[in-house]
Amino acid sequence: MKSLPEISEKVRKNLIWKSIFRRDYRNSIRDRAQAVFGNVFLHLHPVQVRESAVKLRFTWGMGGITFFAFILLVITGVVLMFYYHPSIDQAYTDIKDLEFQVPFGVILRNLHRWGAHFMVIVVMIHMFRVFMTGSYKAPRQFNWGIGVFLLVLTFLLSFTGYLTPWDQLGFWAITVGTNMGAATPLLGYQGPFSEYLHITPYNDIRFALLGGAQVGGNALLRSYIWHCVAIPLISIILMFVHFWRVRKDGGISKPQK
Amino acid sequence: MANEQKNNSSNRVYIFVFFSVVLLALSLWVVWDDEFGLRPWKKYQQEFKTLKHDKLESEYRKAVVDFQRSGGHTRLAELEARLAKAEAVFQSPANQEKYKQLTTQFDDIHATAASNQKELQNARGKFLESEYYFTKTQKPEYKATMDLLQREIDAINLRRASIQKKEEAFKNALNEMTSATVNLKAEIEDMKKGLEELKEKIASNDKVAVEIKQVHIKDIDKADRCQSCHIGIDGKHQVSSLQPFTKHPASFVYLDHHDPSKFGCTFCHRGQGRATTSVEKAHGKVKHFDEPLLDGDMTQTSCLNCHGDIKGLRGAEQIGISTELIKKYGCYSCHKIPGYESIGDVGPVLTEVGSKVNYSWAVNWLLDPKKYFSTARMPKFFFTQAQAEAIADYLFSMSGTTRHDVDYANTQPNAQLVEQGKTLWSQARCNLCHTTGGRGGNHIKVYAPDLSKVGSKVNKEWLFKWLKNPNAYFPGTKMPRFRFTDQEINALVEYIVSEYKDDEAEARYVQPVEIKAASIKKGKELIQQYGCYGCHKLQGMEEMVQIAPSLKSQGVSFLRKDEMREKIGTELSSIGSKPLEMLDFGKLAKAIPNDRLSYLKQKLRDPRGFRLGLRMPDFRLSESEVNELAAVLYGFTDANVPVRFMVPSRQELDKMAGVQGYKFTGDFAKVIADVKCTNCHSIKGIGADYAPDLSIAGSKLQEKWIRKFLANPDVIRPLLQQMPKLGLTLGKPAAKVTMPKFNLGKQRVEDTNKSDVDVVVDYFQQELVTTDIPKAIPTITTMALPEQISKGKALYEFKGCRSCHQIGLDGGALGPNLSDVGNRLQPGFIFRHLENARKFKPDIVEPDYGFTERERIYLTNFLMTLKLNTK
Repeated sequence: MKSLPEISEKVRKNLIWKSIFRRDYRNSIRDRAQAVFGNVFLHLHPVQVRESAVKLRFTWGMGGITFFAFILLVITGVVLMFYYHPSIDQAYTDIKDLEFQVPFGVILRNLHRWGAHFMVIVVMIHMFRVFMTGSYKAPRQFNWGIGVFLLVLTFLLSFTGYLTPWDQLGFWAITVGTNMGAATPLLGYQGPFSEYLHITPYNDIRFALLGGAQVGGNALLRSYIWHCVAIPLISIILMFVHFWRVRKDGGISKPQK
Repeated sequence: MANEQKNNSSNRVYIFVFFSVVLLALSLWVVWDDEFGLRPWKKYQQEFKTLKHDKLESEYRKAVVDFQRSGGHTRLAELEARLAKAEAVFQSPANQEKYKQLTTQFDDIHATAASNQKELQNARGKFLESEYYFTKTQKPEYKATMDLLQREIDAINLRRASIQKKEEAFKNALNEMTSATVNLKAEIEDMKKGLEELKEKIASNDKVAVEIKQVHIKDIDKADRCQSCHIGIDGKHQVSSLQPFTKHPASFVYLDHHDPSKFGCTFCHRGQGRATTSVEKAHGKVKHFDEPLLDGDMTQTSCLNCHGDIKGLRGAEQIGISTELIKKYGCYSCHKIPGYESIGDVGPVLTEVGSKVNYSWAVNWLLDPKKYFSTARMPKFFFTQAQAEAIADYLFSMSGTTRHDVDYANTQPNAQLVEQGKTLWSQARCNLCHTTGGRGGNHIKVYAPDLSKVGSKVNKEWLFKWLKNPNAYFPGTKMPRFRFTDQEINALVEYIVSEYKDDEAEARYVQPVEIKAASIKKGKELIQQYGCYGCHKLQGMEEMVQIAPSLKSQGVSFLRKDEMREKIGTELSSIGSKPLEMLDFGKLAKAIPNDRLSYLKQKLRDPRGFRLGLRMPDFRLSESEVNELAAVLYGFTDANVPVRFMVPSRQELDKMAGVQGYKFTGDFAKVIADVKCTNCHSIKGIGADYAPDLSIAGSKLQEKWIRKFLANPDVIRPLLQQMPKLGLTLGKPAAKVTMPKFNLGKQRVEDTNKSDVDVVVDYFQQELVTTDIPKAIPTITTMALPEQISKGKALYEFKGCRSCHQIGLDGGALGPNLSDVGNRLQPGFIFRHLENARKFKPDIVEPDYGFTERERIYLTNFLMTLKLNTK
């Protein structure tokens, strides 16, 4: 019978262990820094954080919570895609079956739905905090701009996801929303000067969003692809830029002494 | 400072621990809820299994007790003892030795047989080879080989026969040794079989998996999971009478024709078939679900989805009765309803109404029809006095008359005429269709008006013309033309007018008053607004149609006659699935439940209650009629129905097959149009089911009897369905045809010079016959006729025919009276009828006695002797 330290020693000497962790860890400042540097997920993060930056009272942790919500939505969203067909015959019954039939379907769908509402709220509070603490000021102007784009993308994610259950609520929300697009100057056929610009119901922004002049099967497919593929991809890219710039612009903002 | 920090962090540990515990508890709850909380059907299936297990178990125990009680137990023990003995005998060394020896010998023989067989195959192969070469080359050496081989084959075959014989002998010897035990074993198994089967049933029930049971209708992608809880619904045996375990009621009607694995449940019952999480959700009795579960008779409304002919459909009796209401009140006059397009006007012709009724009566009728008689079908339009007068003015002006009343109050009726009229009234059986003073009107489906107060409604001149020829005033009326003489008509008119008058009737226009043009114009506008032409034929509005509102908004105001038109009311073809948001609850949005059925019922109860400006009149339906009509309307849906479910009506099928519907021809058609036989009788699918079907009357009835009956109808069934005396002429001499009675039908005289009875009898014998009924019945040559008759009589007594049929004064009153059946029916019909009564009348109550052919001959011969002496 071997003692616990002996077993632990043996595991650490193992080739597999070594190939994953590469070096020993002794809980020194250097080793801790190495652990962050050497990790693909953590290396975006600064090696050292000031004590004042961790104070919840100043940042409220909203940026991090938004990112957490995003990860939650990606995971639940991917699982939901296994149970969903973006066609007008099946979409609604698929959503119903999530409640009635799919194992853990109720918690899955509710996590996604409420998580989405949560993310929209949190992202707005994040922006509010950044504004109120003046964190948009130099040298962080660029990152503020990225943040605004991310806010819009979050709204668009929410908007496109609204149609996917194919219920009355989503149907009319998208009808109203895209009609607003149709009335936008220079983009929609109902906007001013549209006749001089040859904008018709069949070539304006609403048509592009719906894949037709009405909310139908094409609109469902388009919103599905925007929701599940295109917007998340753009968001992820912008998020990386966002996080990277947080570091490069002098770390997470903190109270001025 | 450092101390404080430490305190802080230990506080945080408690918070961390608290939230961890909460998260763990929540996770456990999620798992529990997903496994049990959201899947209540698991509990039901488990419970059902237990119930079924208990039932089978008790059956098994009962079977065991029965087995013991019937002495099976002792017999089994005895058999087993005998088996043991037989085994012992078989196992004795001497027998074993013998058995072994026999087996070895048998095996040897068997091996010989096998090698012999191989040899045979070999020789045959070689033979075929030589044959092939010989046919190809025709060389004689091959022929020689063939002959040689043939001889060889013959020799082998010979050997085979002897080997087989030996083999057989050994086999028999072996069987003889084991036969005692084998037979006993089989016998024991046989005795145990019933019990073993029951045991197996219990075991297989215990093995049934608890799982979702889903029916998927592929064509329309509909999924039902109802049977996950209603687990015993398609069962042959009732396991429990409680929901959800009970079996489907009357499943021999419903499920036998609608296999639940193909039709599912929600197709007829509606509800949310996919839902499995709670009873309310599954039954669709939750907010925002438009199709709540239908149960009881209400479910029959779904029959309308697929079945074209609802009348007479087994299991759809209630909805069949209810659909009659649409015909009764003529909903199709104002609303477009599929399947009811070609039905005629529900109200009488009004083109000459000014010459028919009193002006005061007309105004009062327009104000409130039910005040005149309570069974009036015409609805109340809530007209004001001035509006009612305006409409009456328009109608009277179209007939070219003035505001006038005729009042017979002070005239003295001719007593002699009245007396004669009264006799005619009862001979013609007017009360069969018309009610007077609350009596009569047994034949409800013709909707004849109540005549209790008719003397104060119509004038004598019109009544005379009407009775003389109803078709002249109202083409297509259901009123038959009785063959009365003018004198008889006068008597009837005198009787009706003096007997049935309204003492409270007002007659304000005994002195006629001219009608003002402004009033006529106003009346016309009202008629157009409320669409009176929907139910009545009106002069000047024959082609009146409502222009579709959708077209009106596009500026179309004039359409050609058969262009797109719309009825005055909303189209009802899919009212039963109209989206809830498209129903206007108006003022009552908060007062009544906001579902489709409640809307329909409220609309029928109070048609103008939802908001101002509605035009639908009030039919003052009883609550039961409201429910029935609402149920029918609820069934008019645009449901997605797979084509393979559709059962088109006979009419549609004929149309698809290019078959013309049956039409009466020649003089008979004229008689039908005149006497309206089809008001009561059904002939080849045309007509009502009030009186016997006449489709095969020519093969069924004897000519002499038809003639006699038509001239003087008599009771066959002692019910209230008596045939009226229509005054048809027996008329052998041609001169009779030119009697005044027929003055109106001049063409007939020119055409054929036949009396109507001749026409009817000829048509019966030529058209209404079937080859299914033989002209004569088979004869029995070995027995004298009187003996056959007495045997038939004995059978009649023995089978208890008299409990329903009457001969003389003896017997029951459910079936037809047979006293004169020998004069009435053809023997061939009786013969066939006794074989299978349902062949000619599928809903007959007569039981099937399963008579043999001989018995049927006896009975027929006996029944043909039953004749009343007429002379």
